[in-house]
Amino acid sequence: MSGKAAENFWIEQLLRRAGFGCTPQELAGYKALGYEDAVEQLINPQRVPNDELGTLIEQQDFDFTRLDDLKRWWLYRMCFTRRPLEEKMTLFWHGHFATANAKVGQPYLMYMQNLLMRKFALGNFHDLLLGISRDPAMIIWLDNQQNRKGKPNENYAREVMELFTVGIGHYTEQDVKESARAFTGWQTRPDGFYFNANQHDNGEKTFLGHTGDLNGDDIVAILVSQPATAQFLARKMVTFFVADKPDQSMIDDVADAYMASRFQIRPMLKTIFTHRLFRSDKAYHAKIKSPAELVVGTLKTLQVTKLDADLPAVMARMGQNLFEPPNVKGWDGGPAWISTNTMMERFNFATRITQQKFDALEGYFSPSQLAANQGLRRARDLVDYFLALLVDGDVPADTRDSLIKYVSTDFDGQSIEAIPDDRTLDAKLRGLVHLIMTLPTYQLA
Amino acid sequence: MRITRRNFIRASLGVAGYYLATPHFSALAAAAARLAPRRSGIDKVLVVVQLAGGNDGLNTVVPYTDGAYFQARPTLALKPEMVLPLSGQLALHPNMSGLADLFKQGKLALVLGVGYPNPNRSHFRSIEIWQTAEPNRIANTGWLGRYLDLASPASGADDNMLPAVNLDPILPKTLSASKVVVPSVTNPNLFRFTTDPRYGQDRENQIAAFKQIYSSFDLKRPECDLLRKVGLDSLQASDYLLDVVKKYQGTVKYPDNPFAKGLQFIAQMIAAGVGARVYNISLGGFDTHAAQTRTQANLLKQLSDGLAAFQSDLEGHGVDRDVMVMTFSEFGRRVAENGGRGTDHGTAEPLFLVSSALKSGLYGDYPSLSNLDQGDLKYKIDFRTVYATILDRWLGADSQQVLGGRFDSLPFV
Repeated sequence: MSGKAAENFWIEQLLRRAGFGCTPQELAGYKALGYEDAVEQLINPQRVPNDELGTLIEQQDFDFTRLDDLKRWWLYRMCFTRRPLEEKMTLFWHGHFATANAKVGQPYLMYMQNLLMRKFALGNFHDLLLGISRDPAMIIWLDNQQNRKGKPNENYAREVMELFTVGIGHYTEQDVKESARAFTGWQTRPDGFYFNANQHDNGEKTFLGHTGDLNGDDIVAILVSQPATAQFLARKMVTFFVADKPDQSMIDDVADAYMASRFQIRPMLKTIFTHRLFRSDKAYHAKIKSPAELVVGTLKTLQVTKLDADLPAVMARMGQNLFEPPNVKGWDGGPAWISTNTMMERFNFATRITQQKFDALEGYFSPSQLAANQGLRRARDLVDYFLALLVDGDVPADTRDSLIKYVSTDFDGQSIEAIPDDRTLDAKLRGLVHLIMTLPTYQLA
Repeated sequence: MRITRRNFIRASLGVAGYYLATPHFSALAAAAARLAPRRSGIDKVLVVVQLAGGNDGLNTVVPYTDGAYFQARPTLALKPEMVLPLSGQLALHPNMSGLADLFKQGKLALVLGVGYPNPNRSHFRSIEIWQTAEPNRIANTGWLGRYLDLASPASGADDNMLPAVNLDPILPKTLSASKVVVPSVTNPNLFRFTTDPRYGQDRENQIAAFKQIYSSFDLKRPECDLLRKVGLDSLQASDYLLDVVKKYQGTVKYPDNPFAKGLQFIAQMIAAGVGARVYNISLGGFDTHAAQTRTQANLLKQLSDGLAAFQSDLEGHGVDRDVMVMTFSEFGRRVAENGGRGTDHGTAEPLFLVSSALKSGLYGDYPSLSNLDQGDLKYKIDFRTVYATILDRWLGADSQQVLGGRFDSLPFV
C-alpha cells in the first residue's frame, strides 16, 4: 500500500479504537491532519473546543436525577463529542471502577462520578484514584460508609487493590485488613465527601511494607506508585485499545511511560497509538466491538442524527448497560460480548437501523438518485461501495460474491440483470446494508 | 422433538455442506471419538443455579441451637422460633418454606461445609475455581463445558443443536468448552432474526444469503471463528425456541420475578424435549457486606419459591425424575458480622440439590463455629466430590476425565 493510503488506513483504525468511529466528514478532517497530528489532537482533548456538544446537550434538557436520561446523555456525548478519546477513556474508567446504580440508588451521584472520571480521564492517575476514593457513589458502592473504627469493612480496601491498582498476587490478606483500617471514617453525606474523624482508626498500621498512622491518602499514594499498578493498568489499556492477547513488550513500554511520567495517563496513550504494534497486522480488526462502539459507530458512519430513546436499552441487551456494569470487575469485553443472545441483538439492531431513513446520506431520499450520484449502476459497485464504507472491504471473496448475488436477485429469487424499480432498489440496498452489518467483520474494530 | 443440526441444515440449505465448511471439525471429531463415553438410554438433566456474590450459608442453613452462632452475630442471628427446622441442630431461613416442604417430601438434599483447600476470597478467582473445578491453576474450560465436549457424539450423527442452554446474559465459564457452543437466551421473545417488515418477500432471500455467507466465512482475524459459529447458531435457534415457549404452557403459577420466569422457561424447554443436558441460571445480589438481613431474606425467598414452583411444574409434565437442580455460590461468608450489619467474604457453604430422584437428607457435618481459620469456617467436603457424584451417577459421564482426578462420591443419588 502506498504511503498516503497506508496512513489513511491506520487513521481509520485509530478512530475506531481511540473513539467510536467517525462520520465521513470527521474522517476527512483527521486524514487531512495525518496520523501523527491526529494522535496529538486525540490525546489533547483540552485543545479542542466542544461548544456544539454543549449546546446540543442543553437543548435536550436532561434530568440527571433520572437514570434513563443519564444513559441518553452519555450516548449523545459519545455520538457528538469532538473529543472522542476523552469519552472513550471515560468509558474505560467506568468499566475499571465499575460502579453500578442498582446499589448506589442515586443517578445524580453516578453523574458526578462520571464527571470526575472525565475530568481526570487523561490526567494523573493519583488524582483520579484519590478522587474515586472520596467519591460518594464509590463509597456507597463498596460499603465504605460502614467502614468504622473497631468494626472495619474490607470491601473497598480489597477491591482498590484487586481491581483498581496492583491486582491479585501483590498483597496479602493482612494488607487488606490494614488498608480497611486506614479508610475508616471516609464517608459521604448529602453535601458530599465527609471525613468522620470519630470513626477513623488512627492507630499504627503496616501496609505493603510501610508503617505509620496511615490514612486513605497514604494508601492511595503507595498504591499509585507501585510498579505492579503500572503493569496492571498498562495491560488493561493495551487489551482495551489494541488486542485481546496483549503483547508483553508493548505492555512494558506503556508501563514505563506511566512510571517515567510519575503516573500520567496521557503518555501511556501516546505510547500505545504510536507503537509499531498498533499499526500492525496483529492489531488490525483484532478487537470485537463493544456494544457502545457498535451502536455509536453505526450511527456515525451512517450519519443518523436522531437517537431513539431506547438505544441504551438495546446496548444493555447486547451486554453493556451503562451505569450498571454487571459486577465490580466491569465488562470483560472481547469474546465475552458474543453469545447467541447478544449476536441476535446485534443482528436486530442492524434491521432497525436499515429500516429507518438514512437521514443525511446525500441524495438518499431517492435510492435511484444515490445510485446515479455515486455512479453506482451495477450490483458489484453497490456492494463494493458499502463494503468499503462499513467493513473496510475486509471480507472473504465468496462473501462479496454472495452479496452481489443477493443484490442481483429479485423478490421471487430469480436472478436479474438490472434492478427493475425504485422499490426493489430500496429493499435491496437496505437488505445489503443489513447483511453487511450482520457479518463477522462488522463486529470487529 | 429433538432438533438435530443435520436435519435442520439439510432442510434449509439443501446441502450437507456444513461439516465440510468447518475446517477443524474432523480433527476434533477424531479426538472426541476416542474419548466419548457410551450414552445411557435416558438423558438426565442438570440445572445449575449460581448464587452470585457469595451467599451467607450460616443464615441459610442455620445452626439454631449453637450458642456460638448467636454470639458471633448479635444483630444478624435469626431467631430460633422463626427458622424452619430440618433436624435437631439445623434449620432453614424463615423465607425458605418452599424448600422446607421439598425436604419433607424427600426431594431436597443438602451438602454441608463445601469448599476447597486454600480458599480464595476474591469473587472472580473463587467463582472461576468453582466453574472450572481447578483450584490450582487458571483453566480455560468449565467442568460442564468439558463434560459437554466429551458427551457430544463424534460423528455428528446425532449432533444436538442445543447441548445446553444458558439463561444468563453472559456465558459463564462453567459452560466454556473447546468444541460445543452453548447458546445464551435470556428472553425468548426477543430471540428472533428480524428483517425489514415492509419487504417481507425478500426475507427468505436475505436469510439464504446470510446462511451462505456464514457457513463458509473464512477470514484470518482473531475472533472470526467464534463469531461465525455463534452467528449461525443464533439464526438456527431463533424461531425454534419461540415455538417451544408457545407450545408448552404449564398450569403452575410462578412468582413474578426474572429468576422464576427463567426457571419457567427452562421447564418449558425440558418438557418440550429440546434435549439440552445442562441449563444454567443465576440469581444475584448475595454480596451482603452491609444491611444483610432484608437483602438476603428477599433473595432466599426468590430462590425457594422459584425452585418450589419449578419442581411442581416438572412433576406436572412428568419429567421430574430426569431433572436435578444444584445451587452453589463462590463462597460463604465470615462467621462474625461486620460493622455494617453485614458479613464479609468467607469460605465454606452449603449446597442445595433438588430432585424427585435423589436420596433426601443432610450430607456431611456442619463446620465448627469455634475451630475457625482466621474467622472463617473450615470446609469439610471438597466441591469436586459433589461434581464427581453428579457426573458419574447422574449424567453417566466419567468424572475422572472431566475433573482430571479421582474424587469420592456422596450417596445422594
